[in-house]
Amino acid sequence: MSKSVVVLGILMMLLASSLGAQEAQFDVKQFTLDNGMNFLVVERPTAPVFSGFIIVGVGSANERTGNIGSAHLLEHMMFKGSKLVGTTDWDAEQDLWAKEDSVWARIDMARRQTRYVALNNPEKLDAHLKFIESLETILDSLAEASSQYVIQNEFDRIYTRNGAAQFNATTGYDFTNYFVSLPSNRLELWFLMESDRLKHPAMREFFPERDVVAEERRQSVENSSDLKLFEQLIGTAFISHPYQIFWEWRSEETNLTRDDLMTFFNTYYIPQNMAVAVVGDVKLDDVRKFAEKYFGDIPRGKDFEPIYTEEIEQTGERRVDLHYESSPAVNISYHGTAFDSPDEPVFQVIQRLIGDGRTSRLYKSLVLDKQLCVDVSVDVFPGNEMGDLYPGVMNIYAYPRDEVTTIDVEAAIYEELHKLATVPVDSLELTKIKNNIDAAMIWSAYDNLGLASYLASTQALTKDWKYLYKLRDKLKAVTPEDIMRVASQYLADEKRTVATLIPLENGGDNE
Amino acid sequence: MNKIVIMIGLLLLAVSAFGQQQYPRDMKFPQIEFNPATPQEFTTDNGIKVFFLEDHKLPVVTLNAYFKGGDIYDPQDKVGLASLTASLMRNGGAGKLNPDQVDFDLEFLAANINCNSGERDYNIGLRTLRKDLDKTTGILADIILKPAFDTAKVTLEKSVTQDQIRRQNDDPGQVTRRVFYQTIYGDHPYGWYATLASIDNITRADIIDCHKKYFVPDNCIMAISGDMTLNDVKVLLKKYFGDWKKAELTLSAKAMAETSYKPGVYYAQKDINQANIRFGHLLMTDENPDQYAFEIMNFALGGGGFSSRMMSQVRTTAGLAYSVGSYPVYRQLMGLHFSYCVTKAESLSKTLQMMFDVINEVRNNGITAEEMELAKESTINGYIFGFDTPSKLANAYARNELRGFPKDKIKTDLEKYQAVTLEKCNQVAKFYLNTDDIVIVITGNKGLFDKPLDTFGPVTDVSMEIQ
Repeated sequence: MSKSVVVLGILMMLLASSLGAQEAQFDVKQFTLDNGMNFLVVERPTAPVFSGFIIVGVGSANERTGNIGSAHLLEHMMFKGSKLVGTTDWDAEQDLWAKEDSVWARIDMARRQTRYVALNNPEKLDAHLKFIESLETILDSLAEASSQYVIQNEFDRIYTRNGAAQFNATTGYDFTNYFVSLPSNRLELWFLMESDRLKHPAMREFFPERDVVAEERRQSVENSSDLKLFEQLIGTAFISHPYQIFWEWRSEETNLTRDDLMTFFNTYYIPQNMAVAVVGDVKLDDVRKFAEKYFGDIPRGKDFEPIYTEEIEQTGERRVDLHYESSPAVNISYHGTAFDSPDEPVFQVIQRLIGDGRTSRLYKSLVLDKQLCVDVSVDVFPGNEMGDLYPGVMNIYAYPRDEVTTIDVEAAIYEELHKLATVPVDSLELTKIKNNIDAAMIWSAYDNLGLASYLASTQALTKDWKYLYKLRDKLKAVTPEDIMRVASQYLADEKRTVATLIPLENGGDNE
Repeated sequence: MNKIVIMIGLLLLAVSAFGQQQYPRDMKFPQIEFNPATPQEFTTDNGIKVFFLEDHKLPVVTLNAYFKGGDIYDPQDKVGLASLTASLMRNGGAGKLNPDQVDFDLEFLAANINCNSGERDYNIGLRTLRKDLDKTTGILADIILKPAFDTAKVTLEKSVTQDQIRRQNDDPGQVTRRVFYQTIYGDHPYGWYATLASIDNITRADIIDCHKKYFVPDNCIMAISGDMTLNDVKVLLKKYFGDWKKAELTLSAKAMAETSYKPGVYYAQKDINQANIRFGHLLMTDENPDQYAFEIMNFALGGGGFSSRMMSQVRTTAGLAYSVGSYPVYRQLMGLHFSYCVTKAESLSKTLQMMFDVINEVRNNGITAEEMELAKESTINGYIFGFDTPSKLANAYARNELRGFPKDKIKTDLEKYQAVTLEKCNQVAKFYLNTDDIVIVITGNKGLFDKPLDTFGPVTDVSMEIQ
């Protein structure tokens, strides 16, 4: 952070003086490579750092039975390095991986036979299981052999040594994000590192990493009452659309292969399916030069099909219970819209109206006035800020006060939703929402990574980052009549899915 | 023929390796000069110490007011008092505004005020658009100077806090952390947690007294950054905080925490398919100069994510965990070192032993020069990210002032990291690291574990009863 802080820096926000309104304007530069890869650049020399954000238009919704978990495991494997990083001999590694894969194929085949051996030749079961064990030992020794060429976690080490912050990746349903913040003189390092892993992903240390994602599922879903309940909710709310799988199942992900991942990679990690944002103390010309040099030689890929599957119509209320060692909770879902639906902005205003802050309809009613809940909150799944690629669900999460039933909590929630459909919102409340929409956009530019994420996500979803201005205008044009219409159409009783956590007593093995 | 092909091949290889192909590992960059702006500093007539950074990049302002005090000063039978005082300042009405009006006025202007009590301070934070600064600062001042502590809201806040206590065993990670702190600090205030009874004991009069005692201008340090000038700040503070009367505050001295626990395994029963592990021991205070070398050493041990031994061995190589690591916590009255991991129940003992082995290896044989260089370069090159927004920078100065640290601490800290040597790293490793006299907390279902828990020491069953 240089002294330019005290001087008037780059004036990113132009103040719209008319009517005292204050609206965000972003000074974004944009270019597209011949292969279709899109770059957004914000030059902001406040501190000598930058954030790089790469978004790939693929996520778990693109999976089908047989390769479920590919998007997430592939994202993990992208940290294993590349051709230039993490290895002392790329070719030797390839050979060993092929051997590992063929042994894995034999293990997989033998495991499939186990149930028939057990049924038809039970006397041979022991020998069969020993055979599988011996194959597993071979796989371990091959992994050991591969490891001699591995420079473990070098991808992380290089970024770490160079002072990286916020280095991570996230897998969503329609998008996968790779991001990092670095000192600004490391711009070329970032381009080299990212381009090499996007050209030559390394399926290094594959089998242990498969166990790691299985452990991640245990920790994040199976042993978390909130997400365990949410998995039931989502699995019940969706019948046909791939959004039904909140988190990949362990039975699927522990059977994924390198081939599954490479097929997935080759199909979706193509330049025309990626958007990049670079925000910070960088120059457009440098970004363009490095983009051409490092990403320009990736050939344009073959366009893939969108997801044609639509969610089938909900025909009545759906309910699901989770009996679990935890306190009571209730989650309620309503099907919503996709980002390009005319009703989407109305939905976003409704979400803020019922769920944003202490003055929101639900918090005010359930926590403060009726005192039925410890907490209540609202979000949208999958929950892209600009709307989702396919229609998602709006969810209400309520945590009852001691000795309050979920039945009473539900009744109070439905009362508020019915009010939304029948009584026009007063203008002061609507103005509050619109003020918050403007403010959120201004704050989104507060740090480099936040702005990079906001811009790249908008670009990837809508194919034009400037859509964020259009959405703002649409949000601000929402009327009380729109809200009543959308609430009565989408938030009707027969359109909801309810998941309830029913507490089990501490039931473990405690002698 | 063959030879020629090979030779050409070698030549091509040489060209590609040395002539064109650059490897990220070989790319060297000069260190970014760490030259952050220095906040402007002044003290108001009534004693508020202010750190201000002017920044016109966005039409926004952030203001954080810090006050010495906080959880450490709670009486033992009223644990939760500081926390309730802070939340009721925000939620119990202020000045002429009733609680609902405070909420509405702030949210209508898309502004945010947070009131929190920490271990040894309160933090009252405002985030606001510049255009609403006058109005929102007025509300902030009312919250700090004239909280109403509405009787009905006191009752509500207390009962909601008790319901949150009733939910304290829902999350295995939260259980493990709580039991670890309670055990390792024992009867020291650092080990106290609010209970149903301690919340019951707190009266509205206690809350009023607590507020009156700590929220005085000469105990207030402010970090302000954003779209205003120094003169704007002075005028604003004069207008809203000018009449705030000085009052003497004497803080009672608190004893240092000492090792009083019985080493061994503390088992919290929960019917889950993983073991949630946290273990460690007391370490050093936040003024101990060994912390710089310890920090660098611990980076290699378990703090440096994928660049640490724990992550490499337990996660990357063995695939036994998604989350694993070790961290020091430096605290005024004695910090601690802990390691944590979440692994499937059947691999508990294997994983725990692996973590002990990593620690013992570092204690006995030290880290390598290469590991130390990586840790130092990461710390030094990444140092700027602690101060890369005006708000982070102003708050860093305010927190150092609060703690009584020198003003140039953010610069001298960097120099101290630069001065760390391998010898010093390995000396602190040997002196501080320990896997024998430690508290090991395990939450899970022991019926599923791969070895009995007493493999790792005498086992104490932790009561999960809500008190």
